[in-house]
Amino acid sequence: MSGLAAALRRDVRWPGYLGALVVLLLLPLVLGTPYWRGILIVCAMNVLLAMSLNLVIGYTGQLNLGQSGFFAIGAYVTTVLLKSYGWNFWLACVAAVLASGLVGLLLAAFAARLRGHYLGIASLGFAVIVYQILINWESVTKGVRGIYGIRPPPLAIPGFPDLNFANQAALFYLVAGIALLVYLLLDNLLRSPIGETLRAIREDEISAASLGVNSAKWKAFSFSLSAAIAGLAGCFYPGFVGTLVPDAFNIVESFTMLAMVVVGGMGTMIGPVVGAIVLTFLPELLRGFGDLRLIVYGLALTLVVLFMPGGMVQAWQLLRARFSGGRPQHASGADGVGR
Amino acid sequence: MNALLETRELRKSFGGVKAVAGISMAVPEKSIFAVIGPNGAGKSTLMNLLSGTYQPDSGELRFAGRQLAGLPAHQRARLGLARTFQKIRLFKQLSLLDNVLAGFHIRHQVPAWQYLLPGAAFWRDWTRCRQEGLALLEFVGLGELAAQRAGSLAYGQQRMLEIARALATQPKLFMLDEPAAGLNAAEVAFLLQRLRDIRDRGITVVVVEHNMDLVMKVADHVFVMDHGEFLFEGPPKAVQSNPSVIEAYLGGEFESGALA
Repeated sequence: MSGLAAALRRDVRWPGYLGALVVLLLLPLVLGTPYWRGILIVCAMNVLLAMSLNLVIGYTGQLNLGQSGFFAIGAYVTTVLLKSYGWNFWLACVAAVLASGLVGLLLAAFAARLRGHYLGIASLGFAVIVYQILINWESVTKGVRGIYGIRPPPLAIPGFPDLNFANQAALFYLVAGIALLVYLLLDNLLRSPIGETLRAIREDEISAASLGVNSAKWKAFSFSLSAAIAGLAGCFYPGFVGTLVPDAFNIVESFTMLAMVVVGGMGTMIGPVVGAIVLTFLPELLRGFGDLRLIVYGLALTLVVLFMPGGMVQAWQLLRARFSGGRPQHASGADGVGR
Repeated sequence: MNALLETRELRKSFGGVKAVAGISMAVPEKSIFAVIGPNGAGKSTLMNLLSGTYQPDSGELRFAGRQLAGLPAHQRARLGLARTFQKIRLFKQLSLLDNVLAGFHIRHQVPAWQYLLPGAAFWRDWTRCRQEGLALLEFVGLGELAAQRAGSLAYGQQRMLEIARALATQPKLFMLDEPAAGLNAAEVAFLLQRLRDIRDRGITVVVVEHNMDLVMKVADHVFVMDHGEFLFEGPPKAVQSNPSVIEAYLGGEFESGALA
């Protein structure tokens, strides 16, 4: 038995990934207008952001209300290096991801000392600070006036400098492909003993310590990786919109990401992905109702927290249990779908 | 007989309360060592000092010749100390098996990159942990329930799961904080048998217990505390008949002479 064949047999997830890949390839063809393709790109970025936040909140159990700060760092570091220092886009991306990850370590230093609501407030403060820096550090960020004329990411093929992702379908393939890859790697990571360790910290830090878990170290790992993924999402944002203003990274964005994680089902892999998709498309479908659509987020969040704390993943499990005639799966709890 | 764990003049105060006031003891290797005393004697504080949940104000703490004072709990676990908690602390949302798997944290031998892209070493480790984890669950009588959520277990079963989880770290010294609290008679009998089995596997067992009866049945050596201080130590028989121990337990209502 060859190694690959054995691995595929052991891993029952690959049909799911294959299906997701096919859907991603077809999506820009089905939703062919520039308007819908733009929303598809935003959706792919939101999926990345929701997955990143879920790592910290859902799997490590640390309340983080400042994820928009890392998204901002990713976007601004990329753009400033690109526009002011003439860096290559992909190199600027790597720098932005590293910068976000490093700043994530900073927030983890708070998480080593603060718990629950206190950490939530500290992280919120972090996002406010980042936002204020974007507004006030005008020599670098151009402040509220913003940075204009940002070009879409180029393809790094020597000899074809003009080839880029100006085509929205291509940009969607790029961001969605990265999101799928991140999902795959994150899924592997969280099924591994590292996932077991993070969940142990979420459930009970003192017990985890008695088993040899250095929770300060693993929280730092989780915050940093989460921040790096959010920064990665930020890399593609400026090139897509073409302009960069601080208001895109208002702290409200952090709550939007939180809503995606919670509505989808935190602590599961698929939940935040579903949450991000639903909360990206639903407001667009409700655009005809004007500002009413803004209420969707708040309402969805409230209803879910009140009636279905496990989010849409939990709702799906309950439905499936009802129609298959069996009892709800006790065994796997909120982690059921993620396994 | 070699002492695996030794303390000298160990002290810990909370505000003005001297919870542990100068305890010196030596826990012999591969035995069951019981620490007993009435409520508020400082037993749980002593346990927390040994496991690293608290750090001592002063005094020495040696494990296999190594100084432990100042070392955080997670590093002590790596040296071979494991514990259970008086107030049960399980990973309630996780399955029984996942609870035990978390106990393998310090024993994985997989190259880091395989956590992202699983290879042969990853799957070997994966299989070994699950086999060993199931064996541990069977050892504590919970094999059938491996896929259940830990929070759904009955109280006595939760205590046994905590034991299985701690054993997954392969400790040299296993400390149990009031393991029989809340158990019925049948569960206590099962627990006693398991404690003996654990000792017979070569693991040194420290049991902090409130219940004298239980201690008399299983302990090789008994250490009695009262008000944070040493009161008496010796084999169970000697402890049982010691007047000062009896007085401490009955609360000084009787003259010790009246009992003799």
